[in-house]
Amino acid sequence: MLNERAFKAVGRPLPRKEDLRLITGKGRFTDDFNFPGQVWAAMVRSPHPHARIVAIDSEGARAMPGVLGVYTGADCERDGLKPIPHNPVPSTNFDVKLTGRGGTKVFIGSHMLLPADKSRHVGEAVAMVVAETRDQAYAAAEAVDVTYDVLPWVADTAAAAEPDAPRLWDEIPDNILVDSSFGDVEGTEASFARAAHVVTMRSHVGRVTGVPLEPRAAVGHYDTATGRYTLYAGSGGAVRQKRELAEVLNEDQQNLRLLSFDVGGNFGTRNRAYVEFGLVLYASRKLGRPVKFRAERSESFLTDYQGRDLVTEVSLAIDADGKFLAMRASNLSNVGSRCVSLSPLSKGSGLITGSYDIPFATLRSRAVYSNTMPTQAYRSSGRPEVTFAIERLIDKAARELGFDRLDLRRRNLVRPQQMPYVNAVGSSYDSGEYEANMDRLLALADWQGMEARRAEAKSRGKILGFGFANYVESSIGTPKERADVIVRPDGVEVVIGTQPAGQGHETSFAQVTADLLGVPFENVTITLGDTDVVSAGGGTHSGRSMRHASTVLALASEDLIAKGQALAAHVLGVPLDSVVFEDGVFRVADRNTFLSWFDLARRSDDEGLPAQLRGGLKVRRDSEMHTPVFPNGACACEIEVDPETGGLDIVRYSTVDDVGRCINPLIVHGQTHGGIAQGVGQALWEQCVIDPGSGQPTSGSFMDYGMPRFDNMPSFKTQIVEVLSPTNPFGVKAGGEGGTTPAPAVIMSAVEDALSEFGPIDFEMPATALKIWSHIQSGRARLRSSNAA
Amino acid sequence: MTTVSMTVNGSPVSRDVEDNTLLAFFLRESLGLTGTHVGCDTTQCGCCVVHVDGRSVKSCTMLAAQANGCAVTTIEGLATGDKLHPVQEAFRTYHALQCGFCTPGMIMAATNLIDTYQGELTEEIVREEMEGNLCRCTGYHNIVKAILAAADAMRPARRAAE
Repeated sequence: MLNERAFKAVGRPLPRKEDLRLITGKGRFTDDFNFPGQVWAAMVRSPHPHARIVAIDSEGARAMPGVLGVYTGADCERDGLKPIPHNPVPSTNFDVKLTGRGGTKVFIGSHMLLPADKSRHVGEAVAMVVAETRDQAYAAAEAVDVTYDVLPWVADTAAAAEPDAPRLWDEIPDNILVDSSFGDVEGTEASFARAAHVVTMRSHVGRVTGVPLEPRAAVGHYDTATGRYTLYAGSGGAVRQKRELAEVLNEDQQNLRLLSFDVGGNFGTRNRAYVEFGLVLYASRKLGRPVKFRAERSESFLTDYQGRDLVTEVSLAIDADGKFLAMRASNLSNVGSRCVSLSPLSKGSGLITGSYDIPFATLRSRAVYSNTMPTQAYRSSGRPEVTFAIERLIDKAARELGFDRLDLRRRNLVRPQQMPYVNAVGSSYDSGEYEANMDRLLALADWQGMEARRAEAKSRGKILGFGFANYVESSIGTPKERADVIVRPDGVEVVIGTQPAGQGHETSFAQVTADLLGVPFENVTITLGDTDVVSAGGGTHSGRSMRHASTVLALASEDLIAKGQALAAHVLGVPLDSVVFEDGVFRVADRNTFLSWFDLARRSDDEGLPAQLRGGLKVRRDSEMHTPVFPNGACACEIEVDPETGGLDIVRYSTVDDVGRCINPLIVHGQTHGGIAQGVGQALWEQCVIDPGSGQPTSGSFMDYGMPRFDNMPSFKTQIVEVLSPTNPFGVKAGGEGGTTPAPAVIMSAVEDALSEFGPIDFEMPATALKIWSHIQSGRARLRSSNAA
Repeated sequence: MTTVSMTVNGSPVSRDVEDNTLLAFFLRESLGLTGTHVGCDTTQCGCCVVHVDGRSVKSCTMLAAQANGCAVTTIEGLATGDKLHPVQEAFRTYHALQCGFCTPGMIMAATNLIDTYQGELTEEIVREEMEGNLCRCTGYHNIVKAILAAADAMRPARRAAE
């Protein structure tokens, strides 16, 4: 049992251990590593969305200065390389079960490092050039002459699902790889039949990309003497990447060492192996020299794993009093040219009813291939999409049926006494106070003062819009985690298999360890990211890390305390049951004698110790935890629209987030801030645009991909609520992704509120100034003509 | 090849480099000062900001040769021994960094802003002046707080007088 009164570090906003190196320029990012004899790789990328590779002539490139080799998909096949085993179908006990049509196995198109048959999206690497310098490699890549047979292509999500769409894979009859249905058909149909109202909405939550500021990079080295590969590559989990790349290279896992230290942002983009990671190792084996790759920003925009891209159709059956009776939903996820993850579709599927008590629901979940970069779980995988669907649908229902939009939500929220609440598609919400969150949020956002602010804005010629959304999300993630806890005379080291990219694990995990063992926070260090030290672990995604780490650390500390008691009993020469552990020391009852952890560590190698106490004061503990948790909250914002330009400013933005136990509020608030920016970014600016005529991506730089910036973001009011989850020792849910989850819905809710006098909005995100201005113009024209008539 | 000589973080350096070598890569690859980061290649993200003769410069868009004879300060040269610069200190106190990749450029740009901006630094001014630096982790909230706090620490007289 945890003794909360003994917490000295948990719950405190301690500054991070990571910061000193990062603010003094001593971080260790992938491109900071260089090796003697190192050479550079550049990719030859397909200019076509879909084309058969007829021939690759590399003679000209090979003759260029510094060029050491040119490699193609045929070379990879000849050398026995295997596809990347992405394992995209979520498989914990609590994930919804996605299948192909009629319950068949999901068809996963092979993802070779370089394709030998055809390119399936613009930017796909079809050959690699290695040269002495980076400039030489990039110049020679331009000289590789690829003959393509250009094929019909499809990029749009809905179009790709049509039966006559151009087909990416010969192995299946069309592009649809997942088609699963869930829920109670009979109950849902009966509820719709008796409903007083049915409201329906279709929307497309578009394609965006993660934009970590560190471009992805990799430096690989094959040691001909030992036959071992070493790869420095920032990722979301070195252990997983080691396993997958070993399979690609057809090697034993022990022959690979992966190192991932400071990672310059991830947001999901780095959770799956990139072809370049395998390619630099392959080239190093061929050439006997270290090989490095660093993406240009335009390559990152083209070929970082992307996010979202879900078409959803939802209908809600409502009775005359505004009680929700049932829901029907159909989700279509665009996985891109290869399926690397079905997490976005799966996550969303379990949450379609949102924060509301809706007794019946049916859901059809489909996934489709298209000639675009593959999508992956991106910041709050799948949850902003379904939150957008239910929350925007409720706004629509309130508007069309004459309900107050906040009151309609209150009538239908899941109540605390219903917890744990099993929703209509089987997800079991662990805990939460959803209506109390709304109340807290409305107070934080000064809802009472909103109409006065609206009038004041109007006096300045601006239109104020108020947006609101509730949310609930799920945190699942890889179920296994391992921790080694080692006590030495000068401190405690924890070795663990998560992989932060700014989330501050070195700090928050040290807080947890310090309080579990009763040692000072300053004496705990966390070791991550080197697979020769970190033997197992699930990486960082889906808000899993704090929950899984605190759980395995709680288990490990129990083992360690037992070991400490035995050692103390031996050292002090007393029976085991007379040693008690309290306040971080081992005492003998009724005697003024005690030993600290560090005293014990000094004695842990003593000669003459019994065998079971030898080998140092350390434990290794594995934990497996499938049960998901459901972070939840509420969010409001106010925007001011300039009706003459369509431009808008976000003037207030408030969130209440139930994260379960908050280990470090400084970090959790920071995570929320960043999450908000990414969700708002999608609502207002961000979009991976593909030209509908040519299939060419046109968002290739920061000049044409709109980003959240200093001057378009507001300061935030964020409040943390801690309703402890009963599913894990510390009661942790998750923080950070909750910033993103409601953000697209809340922004569009505010835009719609601001523009209400001009009619309901009919455009998709991002809500650009042009779309808003056009809506105002057409609304005004309509008003003029109806006044004239 | 060109011989480029300059003062970096107070020490004279001289190296032979390709004519087209950018200052950012001269610092990173010729001098091993990897605290200066390159995030976009196109002068848009600001991860590579250093000071050249007292001005903020995006070092990915300046040739090393253009800095010949100049005094360059990088993130590695900002602290005085073990004593952090007030902007570095404020970034840590206010949790103004997460992954830390944009941080060196952010700190160098903020330091120069505080040193050179003539009027009072408000939230609005900081947001406007720092617009050329991108951060993907923090939503900027804590960076703004840190810069304002550092400005107060560095020039209390000026802020109070205005």
